[in-house]
Amino acid sequence: MNKNNTQINSFSLSNDKVSATILLVPALIFCTIFIFIPAIGTIVGSFYSYSLTSMNNWKWVGFGNYVKATQDEYFWVALKNNFIIVFASIVLQVGVGTILAAILDRGIKYGRVIFRTIIFTPMVISSVAVSLIWLIIYDPNVGILNAIVKSIGLSTPSKGWLGDPNISIWMIMITAAWQNTGFMMVLILAGLQGVSKEVYDAAEIDGATGVKAFWYITLPMIRNVLIVAILITTIGAFKVFEFIFVFTQGGPSNATQVLGTYIYLQAFNLLHMGYANALSVILLIIALFLGWLQLKSSRKA
Amino acid sequence: MSRFKIANIIAYGFVTLFSIYVLMPILVMVLTTFKSKREIFLEPLGIPSQFGISSFEKALTVGLGSFMLNSFIVSFFAVFLIVTISGMAAYVLSRIDFKINKFVYLLVVAGFAIPPAAVLVPLYTMVSNLNLLNSLFGVIMPLTAFGIPFTVILFYAFFLDFPKEVEEAATIDGCTKLQIFFRIIVPLSGPVIASAAIFQTVWIWNEFLLALIMLTSDDFKTLPIGLLKLRGEWTSDWGAIMAGLTIAVIPVLIVFLIFQKYFVRSLAGLGK
Repeated sequence: MNKNNTQINSFSLSNDKVSATILLVPALIFCTIFIFIPAIGTIVGSFYSYSLTSMNNWKWVGFGNYVKATQDEYFWVALKNNFIIVFASIVLQVGVGTILAAILDRGIKYGRVIFRTIIFTPMVISSVAVSLIWLIIYDPNVGILNAIVKSIGLSTPSKGWLGDPNISIWMIMITAAWQNTGFMMVLILAGLQGVSKEVYDAAEIDGATGVKAFWYITLPMIRNVLIVAILITTIGAFKVFEFIFVFTQGGPSNATQVLGTYIYLQAFNLLHMGYANALSVILLIIALFLGWLQLKSSRKA
Repeated sequence: MSRFKIANIIAYGFVTLFSIYVLMPILVMVLTTFKSKREIFLEPLGIPSQFGISSFEKALTVGLGSFMLNSFIVSFFAVFLIVTISGMAAYVLSRIDFKINKFVYLLVVAGFAIPPAAVLVPLYTMVSNLNLLNSLFGVIMPLTAFGIPFTVILFYAFFLDFPKEVEEAATIDGCTKLQIFFRIIVPLSGPVIASAAIFQTVWIWNEFLLALIMLTSDDFKTLPIGLLKLRGEWTSDWGAIMAGLTIAVIPVLIVFLIFQKYFVRSLAGLGK
């Protein structure tokens, strides 16, 4: 009996290894070919100068592309814009999303599902469609934003809502918030619904109700969900592309570039492949750092 | 009591205002579609006096039908591959103690963190060298790869909580891990498969950057890239542009409204 058992075990163990390998290999192959090899290619390519048309004509430049980046004012503008978008997104999307979630969780009795559905809706629309819809709203000739601002007696910006980079970056934020706040709301709402009713009852006995209870009791309890929400928003802010591509193409004179659009410009419009790779490596480092933060926070959770 | 009422009014007021902010652009899109050119210019805030469909006819000339078909093909195959491949890999990671498992999981998390923009040039070069530019296959493959890491994480969490007794019984009956996976695990994983499929469908249907660099011929463009053509073709004919967007957006909204419970559930699970 014992002997038999061992046989089954050792037989199934080797079988397990075969099965496991069969199941695991496709994922590894896909990720290796299309993510990890290109990532290494980006790092290697960042030390060369080459263009799309002269693929075989690589010139070693060492850290030249990185030195170029530090001296490139538009790279710094792009990086600065990414950080503005990170901070504004956290305030607008996670902040407002939390308020909305709190209201839907305990603030109102009727219409919860309807409000949740409406506010979540933009999430399923492609960012290009979202950008094009907002383009007509911001349009200086036919846009309703101009019409509304004029109707309350204010003056509209002379270069239009998207022509002045100091204004257009905020128009990009408003559009991004329009699309993503509902997602944050739903994410945080799921966290809030995990807080048990007893906690609120106990808080009420201690005299904490409404906003006070939310601030001192609920928020600390959903700390982990909030961290995830902030990380998802931050990662999303570094991936921003469509809104800027459609609204301003990074202009006027590169004032609204972000890393994504600037990499695209360098690679596919200016054909500076090596330089685009160096910029990609910088994005890669930021992305991996954020991924590491996420891993750390999810382990704690 | 009155303080309670004021708080209530503020709460309803806030969600109502936010809902108006969300609905207003969609309303503008649909109304502009039916307006005449004159109405679009003179009455941005007005409603159309008649429901003309000439804008729709113009919008359809850019080939929206073919863009949608391409998006459908890409989404179908990529989502199928992502869900299958990720489910298999996540099961191994959650069940079998390989020494390399921890390393593989770290790779998966790293893969999740890397955005397409960070590997754009080598990826483009590779697809170009394989002669796969302007082919749906050439987009499906990298999109599948970029969808896998997140989906593995999603499945991994699900499989960890999966009761192990059934599998143990099957092992005693002599089933291999491969058989257990396909005969026992898959049939019982409906909810997580649905979540993963919904999430990835939304992502791939809307993916822009990779499709933008790889699909330059109209025959192969997916919907997000194709929509840009509306603006190229009908520069300031807002009626035509909005009609095109309406055609592209309304079916997605209808699907969303039907399945909204599952959409919300699939995305809400991310925080856990």
